Amino acid sequence: MKHYDISGTTLSVALFTEVANSKELLELMQAGTLEPEIALLNASLIPDIFPVLAAAHKTLVSKSRDSLTTRTLHSELVYNYSGSKHISESLKRCGISDSTTYILAARFNASEEELNAMKTLIKGKEIDLEELEGRANKSQILKQYKITGVELGISTIGDAITCRIAARDAL
Amino acid sequence: MINISRLQKARGKHQCFRDMDTETNGGGSLVLIKQGAEARVFESTFGGRKSIVKERFSKKYRHPTLDSKLTLKRLNAEARCMTKARRLGVSTPVLYAVDPVSHTLTFEYVEGPSIKDIFLEFGLKGVVEEKMDDIAFQIGDTIGKLHDGGVIHGDLTTSNMLWRSDTNQLVLIDFGLSFVSTLPEDKGVDLYVLERALLSMHSSCGNVMDKILSAYRKSTKQWSSTFNKLGQVRLRGRKRTMVG
Repeated sequence: MKHYDISGTTLSVALFTEVANSKELLELMQAGTLEPEIALLNASLIPDIFPVLAAAHKTLVSKSRDSLTTRTLHSELVYNYSGSKHISESLKRCGISDSTTYILAARFNASEEELNAMKTLIKGKEIDLEELEGRANKSQILKQYKITGVELGISTIGDAITCRIAARDAL
Repeated sequence: MINISRLQKARGKHQCFRDMDTETNGGGSLVLIKQGAEARVFESTFGGRKSIVKERFSKKYRHPTLDSKLTLKRLNAEARCMTKARRLGVSTPVLYAVDPVSHTLTFEYVEGPSIKDIFLEFGLKGVVEEKMDDIAFQIGDTIGKLHDGGVIHGDLTTSNMLWRSDTNQLVLIDFGLSFVSTLPEDKGVDLYVLERALLSMHSSCGNVMDKILSAYRKSTKQWSSTFNKLGQVRLRGRKRTMVG
């Protein structure tokens, strides 16, 4: 579990592997009864935490202007991480599915109890965020974000994702 | 006297921007580092990294509707060209955020001097040939990649090029005047602007442009058409005469 300060708001992030109840989590989330409300991301698309912070920043700015594109603050984080404008496709790809076992969970301004609730909700093994890089599915990332070898010659994979997240609405 | 009052004006605006910023995106504190005709540039932090915030301010002499349209168009164009350049393998700062409401771009802080400062030092203390060759090669190679991908930088000067100190890598900045075009005319003018800038600023560095052009030639696939255009542009200047 790690906490990041983004313009005065805290983002708490935890990484889980061997998650056994993703189907249940997905159903709860789709019913809108996930308590507390959290963002669940497909962690194999995350090589580094920085792009998640860029997406979180974007989310908080939209929130402060009441201009969220999706229904909740936390689904907005997943949508923003995708770097795409297609909402349902974004949630499908960057969110979790029935069979996802490797998950990054995040919550804005979480209290101590909420964090404990989050940990009991997700039935998996919590691991260190430093494992992100080694466990990322590079070929899947390259395909999802359309990153070519030419770009990787001058950029890390995380920075390439960050640029796409930031520039999405300018395109 | 004029300088002082200008500085105070800049500070006043900066203060107001900071207040606005704490409301909307609050990030790290902002320190003004440069003020130009189109934008103000601040140093800040983003997600724990050092960053640059570029704010395009509104021009009071323009009609408000036109002003906001132009500002937004240029903001988006800059973000697009910067990220497109990266996809072409041209090193530019990593874009962190685009905010159409406060007209700001946030991007990576690149550690290192500008090529302008390096060349000026060469002018004073003598040219370090090896470094000069490396820099000139990278400039030509970079512009070649950019042009082949259809991106015209629009403001190629040595102050818009940085030298990343840890990797000795050229980084292009300020895509505020950039646009997408595949016309040899636009590429020729882009090179001509650089040539003029080198001549006026760095004439004591020897003929850098020849070195740049030979690297450009190796990197581009459209050398002959661009070079021919450059020849024509040299004769007539940057602007086309629009007679008749």
